[in-house]
Amino acid sequence: MKTAVVTGAAKPESIGREVAVRLSKEMNVVVLDLYDEGFASLPECKCIKCDVSDPSSVERIISGLDRVDVLVNCVGGSWEISKEDLRAGPRRGFRGLTNCSLEDWNTIRGANLDSVFYCCRAAAPLLKKQGGAIVNVASVAARKGIPPGAEGSSGPYAVAKAGVMGLTRQLALELGGFGVRVNCVAPGVIASGRLKKVQAVTPKGAGPEGPLKQIPMGRVGTVAETAALIVALCGDDTAYMTGVTVDINGASYAA
Amino acid sequence: MPLEGLKGKKALVTGAASGIGSSIVKRFRSEGVQVFATDIHQTGDLIVADLTDADHIEKLAAEVGTPDFVLNVAGGPVAPTRRNTLPDMPKASSVLEDIDELQWAAVIAANLTSAFLVCKQFAPRMKARKSGRIVNFASIAARRGSDRVGVHYAAAKGGIIALTKTLALELGPFGITVNAIAPGFIRTPRIAEANWGNVTQAFIDSLPLRRAGKPEDIAGVAAMLCSEAGGYVSGATIDVNGGLYFGP
Repeated sequence: MKTAVVTGAAKPESIGREVAVRLSKEMNVVVLDLYDEGFASLPECKCIKCDVSDPSSVERIISGLDRVDVLVNCVGGSWEISKEDLRAGPRRGFRGLTNCSLEDWNTIRGANLDSVFYCCRAAAPLLKKQGGAIVNVASVAARKGIPPGAEGSSGPYAVAKAGVMGLTRQLALELGGFGVRVNCVAPGVIASGRLKKVQAVTPKGAGPEGPLKQIPMGRVGTVAETAALIVALCGDDTAYMTGVTVDINGASYAA
Repeated sequence: MPLEGLKGKKALVTGAASGIGSSIVKRFRSEGVQVFATDIHQTGDLIVADLTDADHIEKLAAEVGTPDFVLNVAGGPVAPTRRNTLPDMPKASSVLEDIDELQWAAVIAANLTSAFLVCKQFAPRMKARKSGRIVNFASIAARRGSDRVGVHYAAAKGGIIALTKTLALELGPFGITVNAIAPGFIRTPRIAEANWGNVTQAFIDSLPLRRAGKPEDIAGVAAMLCSEAGGYVSGATIDVNGGLYFGP
């Protein structure tokens, strides 16, 4: 039976969780996440507590697996991403590149970009054995940045997610010859548990979604739609796609 | 993983006589979609229509009604006419000096005007129903330029990308998604027969995925865009080319 590794899948109403549940209908799913309270709600998956921004933990856990056919890197965000702030809730205020702390920069880059690098590197030898697929999760923030004043996201996040797109292209070249496809999705505003937490503390229209009328489709995306796209990128319907970032943002930014 | 949200829907597929179009028809029918297939070339049970002619499209609409999905596949580097409905693919690359004004106009009409006219006919019907998916066909020629297909085809397909983005903005408020697929080198039977542009094994080996594309590879992505997975994807151009070009 095939095996998928999904990072960042334990938080309630998260994209990663929905991806793990959907993939578990066809393969063994290993979830790597720091948020172990969420493990009980994923009985169909093998959940392992892991800080994916720590390369030695990632290497130890992934290299110990029998096989890996699919890797989905969902870990990310600008808050609740490290041991220290895992349950802290959204940070208030705008954090751009000129006013964030160096600690913010390192933590956010570590969770959003370094983690993807570590997981892909650790999984590559196993993926190359029989071929497979990697799907990374970037963000519309990588395309258009975070406007000054917006809360719930950050400048370092926008930069790290752009790095994820570059990493996707580089790995597509390195792994294509082994039958491993590497693609990426760039979600706009998605109605995840994380968005709800941000909306609970930010004034209407000041959250990352801004006024809804700025999204041509007039609504935020659903976790189900986003997970369905990620799962499709893991499978044969997209067998001739690699190195690509698929934007999923309700027409709010056409690349 | 099966795609959700296709079964029981109605689709219009243009350019359905061969290659990518015919593969999409097959795939969508296998998903339980009611497919209306059209082409300028008469074959099988296709509805014959010249999509550069708004009157033909109006007649087509009378037969089709309001589809849930419109897939604008019709097009190609050589424009078909009502007299020659399945013209040969070019044997060699087309450079600027090879293309006269009539060919320019015919290729723009076959690839770009046709999609415009089809959208103009069917989008208002989708708007009234507040849902729908439109999938247009661009090309890698529009994404990175082409040393093979000629400036008329590349420009028409570039127009498709702009049409796609604009209609995504316009139709988004009505729950309609509009996307494009930009195929790379897809070895359709007609292209294989023409050995178009003398595609070499060295070229194929240079692709990250080390193979030419198949029409089914494009049909899978088209199905994905019309399924649950495409529900919030709009304004996008999806590159399907084995890693030849990664897009912006």
